[in-house]
Amino acid sequence: MVTDLKVNQIKQKDYRSNSLWRLTLRRIFRQRSAIFGMALLGFLILIAIFAEVIAPYDPIQPLIGIENVSKREGPCIHLFGCPKDRPQHIMGIDGNVRDQFSRVLYGSRYSLYVGFTTVSFAILVGTLLGAISGYFGGWWDNIIMRLMDVLMAFPSLLLAITIVSVLGPGLQNALLAIAIVAIPVYARVVRASVLSVKEQAYVAASLALGGSHFHILLRRILPNAIPPLIVQGTLGIGTAILDAAALSFLGLGAQPPTPEWGTMLGTERNQVFTAPHLVFFPGAAIMITVLAFNLLGDGLRDAIDPRLTHQK
Amino acid sequence: MKAKKFFGVLVVLIIAGLALAACQPAATPTQQPPVQQPTTPPEKPPAEQPTTPPQAGFEPMVYGVETCDNYNGIIKEIAALDELTVRFTLCVPDPAFESKAAFTAFAIQPKEWIEAAMENRQILEKPIGTGPYVLDSWKRGDSIIFKRFNDYWGEKAKTETLVFRWASEGAARLLELQSGTVDGIDNPSPDDFQVIRNDPNLRLIEREALNIFYLGMTNTFEPFDKVEVRQAVAMGIDRQRIVDNFYPAGSSVATHFTPCSIPNGCVGEDWYEFNPEKARELLAKAGFPNGFQTKIYYRDVFRGYLPEPGLVATDIQAQLKQNLNIDAEIVVMESGAFIDESTSGRLNGFYLLGWGADYPHITNFLDFHFGRANPQFGKPFPEIYELLEQGARIADPEEATPIYEQANNKIKELVPMVPIAHGGSGVAYRADVVGGHASPLGNEYFAVMDPGGRSTFVWMQNAEPISLYCGDETDGESLRACEQVLESLLGYEIGGTEVKPALATECTPNQDLTVYTCKLRPNVKFHDGSPFDANDVVMSWVVAWDYKHPLHIGNTGAFEYFSYLWGLMNAPAEE
Repeated sequence: MVTDLKVNQIKQKDYRSNSLWRLTLRRIFRQRSAIFGMALLGFLILIAIFAEVIAPYDPIQPLIGIENVSKREGPCIHLFGCPKDRPQHIMGIDGNVRDQFSRVLYGSRYSLYVGFTTVSFAILVGTLLGAISGYFGGWWDNIIMRLMDVLMAFPSLLLAITIVSVLGPGLQNALLAIAIVAIPVYARVVRASVLSVKEQAYVAASLALGGSHFHILLRRILPNAIPPLIVQGTLGIGTAILDAAALSFLGLGAQPPTPEWGTMLGTERNQVFTAPHLVFFPGAAIMITVLAFNLLGDGLRDAIDPRLTHQK
Repeated sequence: MKAKKFFGVLVVLIIAGLALAACQPAATPTQQPPVQQPTTPPEKPPAEQPTTPPQAGFEPMVYGVETCDNYNGIIKEIAALDELTVRFTLCVPDPAFESKAAFTAFAIQPKEWIEAAMENRQILEKPIGTGPYVLDSWKRGDSIIFKRFNDYWGEKAKTETLVFRWASEGAARLLELQSGTVDGIDNPSPDDFQVIRNDPNLRLIEREALNIFYLGMTNTFEPFDKVEVRQAVAMGIDRQRIVDNFYPAGSSVATHFTPCSIPNGCVGEDWYEFNPEKARELLAKAGFPNGFQTKIYYRDVFRGYLPEPGLVATDIQAQLKQNLNIDAEIVVMESGAFIDESTSGRLNGFYLLGWGADYPHITNFLDFHFGRANPQFGKPFPEIYELLEQGARIADPEEATPIYEQANNKIKELVPMVPIAHGGSGVAYRADVVGGHASPLGNEYFAVMDPGGRSTFVWMQNAEPISLYCGDETDGESLRACEQVLESLLGYEIGGTEVKPALATECTPNQDLTVYTCKLRPNVKFHDGSPFDANDVVMSWVVAWDYKHPLHIGNTGAFEYFSYLWGLMNAPAEE
């Protein structure tokens, strides 16, 4: 009995060590940039979750009459010699006399939310379209992919601006616009994987065994598309966050008083010289977030992409 | 083979280049004539004029309506009595006639030029006036260049050349001023005031706050149809806080709609004190104990009355939420659309708008906003406009005081809008500019400025003029440019609001203020060299006045200022 168990355990261990996921994970951990990106991202997610606990102030409550601070006051950090009797504001005060630090913290929620929802939506729709066009081919393929080509022919931000202008400004509409603009990328990735896999013998075998199209597509073909999608999606989140910030900067995305980084930049863009902290911190926050996703995405691609596997 | 391909491509490129080169010169000559043309027709009149002796050839123009019945306008008749006398006959007494006649929208251009250039719209780009500067060229999107008019009747301009440029961002304007590429800028951002004061190379001149910023409401939409709601909003907004935080020094909380420096502007009771408890009570009484949902509309455009539109909108949003539990969504609109929608009363929420004085008279503030025909606050209030119509007929400000007292109290009681602030703004010059000033009416006069001996004065304002036919413009950026080139019968003192003679040496009213006789200045020449006479005055006024006149064209054809200050003849019934 005892030995049997051990053998079982060993077998299981062996089995696991050979699994694709474990291999990939190990490869990812070998990528220094990916680890850094992941750490940064983890940090950002923690900030987003615990914003309420960390933020010293309400991000939309003007401090007029509550504290003796004035509009667009510079940062006041006790550690760096700001008088102790002054209230501490790590990133200063914004134009509406609100604590900039709290706003930047809360901003992470919107950015991550924007990134994940738009990309999930785009992946969902893109996968569906890509799978249909790749698997069924013919007319379906032609119609769907030409539509995607048309979408891709527009500069993405311009198309997003057009969509938002039609739907009306607001965070929800901006999300929708960014998601729609991102769909073709994922549809192409999925279609490429489907095309390369659907001629494989095991797919034919599954078909011969009487598997339905749905079953074959979902269980036999699409799993192959997941790794490139993960890579593309991670990089896509960075782009989506940037696009959302750009839309908000133009006043088409999140509306005041929402503490969204792009909106914060947009409302204070005229004060670059008089109150640089009001554009520096949200700008830096956007940069860090996008950097995290890009590093992670690059690392993932190096780890997952089979064509790159043997290069190291 | 490769070489063949290469030469083939080269040949195509050369042909394409030649085609382009051939098109270019063809395009320039076609553009040039219209630039030159304006100078040619003007030159004709002086050639013709000398042949016909001025006295003999003068046929005085008379233009008017037959009767004042069924006519909403003020002017009954404009008549040239002789070459240098114009008589304005009015239907009703108008004590503000002189203040109004001094306004740039009623500037005088040669009769011949109006006839020649109105229909083909040349007049929009090429005004011919009597002012100290002549329009030299207007590069659309870049700059306008004016040259000194050497035959000017008054004191000649100090600089040879005047350049108008524009930039919408306060920071950009200041940067140009600091780097010395411009000599003066309009409206530096309030946050930069201190920077300018601390810079020994620059000089800040604060502009008197002759304006009003208000929170508009349209009483045809729920819930603004209830007077309690409007009163609650009036009491529920801490206006002092807005002025303290978002306005530069020199601004003040509005106690009345009209600024106090205008006679009778702030007679009557002061505006409501900030009182959130009472406001909530009123709101509950109106049936909204838990507030309501609405919108705040604004345009993101810097104005003297509203230097930080975005911040003020956000602060009002926060205050409405905190004090009255009103959830207001902020909506930024394109400037033109915003003005259209708000002034025609189609916005279903609050809107942030203001008004800068065109001429320093209480009618410019109250009659425009609360008059019988203005739909911007919804249905006009007869309680207010009846008093205003009464007040407008009294010449002596002191005699009119009791009426304006009542009118101001009615405005407070009915709250068509909430007056918030009289915004101070500023103008900044390089320190070596002599004669720099800030006009409370926004019409800085550059002919008297000497930029440290340099021959060119460069001015940078917020936006490009829309056109230079100011009879049909309302925008301050256009009017300021017109003021350098064109003159009206009367003018305002430099940097002030007093009315002073300009093209007319005097306009004398009769006993009951219904007939004004203006004596014109002799020996005045237009920029094209033609002499100025009474017919030019009549023609300049009539094309704006008569809706059915064949030359009633202008830019948009609205002639808003004429319509609101004097009323149009033959106006369509709808208006």
